[in-house]
Amino acid sequence: MSEAALRVHTVDEDADSSRQKDELVLVTTPAVHARRHPRAIAAMWAWQTVLALLASAPAAGLARAAWRGDVGGDTPLWAPGGHALLDWLWHDAHGLRSVVNGAEIVLAFGAIAGLVPMAAMMIALAYATRDRKAAGFVRSVAGGLRAFPPMLVLLLLAGLLQGLVIGSGALLAHLVEGWAHSGMGEARAQQLEGVVLVVFLGLGSAVGVIHDLARAAVVRFKVKGLRAFALGARTFRLSPVSLWWSWAWRALASIAPVLAAAAVAGRLGGRGGLGLAFLFLLHQSVVVARVALRASWLARALRGVDGALRRARS
Amino acid sequence: MMPPPVRWSALALVALTSLAPPIESASAPVVQRGRDPLDLALPTAADPGAPPAAVVLPLAGPAYDDDAALPAHADDIADYTLRARLDPEAHTVHGEGTITWRNTSTRPAREIWLHLYLNAFKNERSAFSRERVGGRGSEPPEDWGWIDVRKLVLRAGDATPVDIWPTAELRRPGDDDETDARVPLPREIEPGEAVQLDVVFDDRLPIVVERTGYRGHYHMVSQWFPKVARLEADGTWAHFPFHHLAEFYADYGTYDVTMDVPEAYTLGATGPLVEWHVTDGRRVERHVQSDVHDFAWTAWDAWQTARQNIDGVDVTLLYPRGFKRMAQRELATLVFALPYYSAHYGRYPYKVLTVVHPQQDAAESGGMEYPTLITTGSSWMTPTGFLAPEIVTIHEMGHQWFYGLVGTNELAWPFLDEGLNQFAEQDGMAKWRGEGSGLDLAGLTVSDAAVDAVAGNFGVHDEPVAQPANAFTTGANYGGLVYARTASVMETLRRVYGDEPVMRALGRYARRFRFEHPGPDQLIAVFEEVLGARVAATLRTALFEKGWVDYVVDGVWANPATRAAGMFDRDGQREKVEHDDRAGKDWDNAVLVRRRGTLSFPVDVDLLLADGTTRHEHWDGEGESRRFAWHGPIAVRGAVIDPQDSVMVDMNLENNRGAAEGRGGSAGSALERATYWMQLALQAVSP
Repeated sequence: MSEAALRVHTVDEDADSSRQKDELVLVTTPAVHARRHPRAIAAMWAWQTVLALLASAPAAGLARAAWRGDVGGDTPLWAPGGHALLDWLWHDAHGLRSVVNGAEIVLAFGAIAGLVPMAAMMIALAYATRDRKAAGFVRSVAGGLRAFPPMLVLLLLAGLLQGLVIGSGALLAHLVEGWAHSGMGEARAQQLEGVVLVVFLGLGSAVGVIHDLARAAVVRFKVKGLRAFALGARTFRLSPVSLWWSWAWRALASIAPVLAAAAVAGRLGGRGGLGLAFLFLLHQSVVVARVALRASWLARALRGVDGALRRARS
Repeated sequence: MMPPPVRWSALALVALTSLAPPIESASAPVVQRGRDPLDLALPTAADPGAPPAAVVLPLAGPAYDDDAALPAHADDIADYTLRARLDPEAHTVHGEGTITWRNTSTRPAREIWLHLYLNAFKNERSAFSRERVGGRGSEPPEDWGWIDVRKLVLRAGDATPVDIWPTAELRRPGDDDETDARVPLPREIEPGEAVQLDVVFDDRLPIVVERTGYRGHYHMVSQWFPKVARLEADGTWAHFPFHHLAEFYADYGTYDVTMDVPEAYTLGATGPLVEWHVTDGRRVERHVQSDVHDFAWTAWDAWQTARQNIDGVDVTLLYPRGFKRMAQRELATLVFALPYYSAHYGRYPYKVLTVVHPQQDAAESGGMEYPTLITTGSSWMTPTGFLAPEIVTIHEMGHQWFYGLVGTNELAWPFLDEGLNQFAEQDGMAKWRGEGSGLDLAGLTVSDAAVDAVAGNFGVHDEPVAQPANAFTTGANYGGLVYARTASVMETLRRVYGDEPVMRALGRYARRFRFEHPGPDQLIAVFEEVLGARVAATLRTALFEKGWVDYVVDGVWANPATRAAGMFDRDGQREKVEHDDRAGKDWDNAVLVRRRGTLSFPVDVDLLLADGTTRHEHWDGEGESRRFAWHGPIAVRGAVIDPQDSVMVDMNLENNRGAAEGRGGSAGSALERATYWMQLALQAVSP
């Protein structure tokens, strides 16, 4: 990888440049923070929400068709005890199967096409105009579209690697369980299996961290495919614990609001009226918080690849 | 299946006899022991699953609403004194001992039928193997198991003992099944006469399959000894092969069993431990239990043990390493359930209860009932909100009553044990855990009763609930109808007619027929005693005639109450009348509800008005439809039939609601939740 390819042009370095003020340049490393870009986070939330609505609208339509006779709509579905819910799942099983198939297609689409908004969000985090304004929606999305091919290559590469690591782990864990089963008993053997699996999931998550660092390299330095992956791996190698923990604590923290919301939802009921409105706000707060945590990690990845470059230069 | 005409005669007799005073006196209730003089007709040997040819129904009466009239003991008919030696490496059991059997029928016995259940796993030509129709035990066997009877010596009176096994007929012509052996007798055994049978046998246990067998050093030893079939009062033997979907049927007696296992093994068995010693590296334990009709035991060198006295019963829980949390959950279940069942279905009469929790690799031996010994199941990591361990525990414990103490024919009428016990399970779970009695996870509650209600709808139109286990066409129908449908029918009765009378009826049935062998007619008769003829008829239709019901709100109308328009001839003049201005006027409201199907229950109907108020109506459920029409200042918006969700057997809940034109609600809550779950799913798979 050439030094030229990795050269970081920052807003500060080019502050006196006579170029056009609205040209996009890299922001300084310490300035790459998700909290400075709430609009980017909101745009990512909007993207996920639109896709989710697309996937869930058929289910809601099915529920509406089933419960159109109730003046309260589909509220019986959420009554304690779940009788109406189970009855609906039984009666509309075929329709629901189609709904699930449709949702799976949307999810698959989201997994691939989502590379564009993710790259756009990273561009929004990593770039600014010369006069220190945000990159803006259109240019971020345009940048995201340009980054799509290398991002797709990285997705396939990292997916393959993660599959290999986790698949090997699952196989090894299974063998360990079989070996320990008669001697240690089922529970202890399965706990040992879980430990082995967790170790490999940890390794798989390390591949994921490298994957995100490679994505940061794509955005930050406009490198592609294997080069980006190599840079991501080099960055990870320089400070693996710090980078992995930066990812891990955010990943763990993003579970907390889901659990909290589930606990609150149980008490709230959320079958209609204000309860439903509050549930909606609660759920969307959870989604936004998780998007923000993800954006925070990607910002950390962007700073990480910068740091690796500096260490390489020095 | 239509009931035979004789059953209606019997019903008429019940109606008459129910007018008679109950069989009790002020000082002491009359408790009849031994053969019921009113007798129960049971399936014949040729057709063990056929409904009784003639039934005369006994009275139960309020004497059985509490424990005062409970019999202390069963009539001992078949006593077993056995010694069993386990070889845990070869997975064999050598058994020998004595069976004492008494002819309690009205006719001399010319033969004896022995169940050799373990031969169900001997080869692929057994009835069990040939009948795989889905459900438990449907997987191909991992290993074979069998029982070889070496000797069966008859000792009767002063006659010379004679080995009658050489003349035994193990198979029928053209049938390789060896689970149902006929042994001709050298002479007749007269009614009331008792004989001794000295027996020697060798078991080879299979790898765990259909409730029995081994896995490694774990051994669950059940259906392991030659067991005398039950001789009915009319002299016919209720014998049958080991069917894929069926369970068992036997006489009460005393089991005195001495088991001999390696010293390192822990034993669990039916009945209390009365004697034990360790000799030459072998642990020898003797367990004795009266008033039971089976005996099972387990031996493993890895059992962990927990003990607790619950409601005066010494409970021993055997569980594998790492399953302590499950054991605690199961003990907590019994702390609630044992006294609850004793209060409702009659005192638990035994001193001990052993709970066996096998590992998941031996799950085929879990979830089973034997007298004073039950097996449970579930993974060591089952989340607390998923109540499978509690449900399995309460279910199998409930079988101590509905199978153990009320010894129904499990082949002929499986709903009498599994179905009633399933109802007892869902009732107990609901009283203990409320609406989340099946699942209580992340804000979602699903009741055990709701699961049964929906599962019970499968197969309702295919075949009746009340039929022999081996008559069911699929395992799914057997499970859905025998367990879930029966429970839902009972739960519907409980919700519609009230908790107290329905629980009283079931309690009266369980007490009245303790240590006896009732059939469906006895159950229905007791329900008629307590709840009346309509409930009895409903129960019969639901169980025998594929009864079903679907309540429907078929129309909701709110029309402005205007002056009638048209041409009217008045006072010799033809007058044209237009609709008047109805601002501020009344409405002509109407709601049409229907009952489809062959079952009927009284239901409530809520009429929802435009001002947010509700008008409550009641429909006795008779007839096929009911129209509620009224004139008033407020328009009707919608209607809900059975708003309290009482009719759990309703085939379709979606049509229980109706709205006036344009008044239907939205699917906002479904959209909100589905969107949120999809957002989380997208975050999981998206970059």
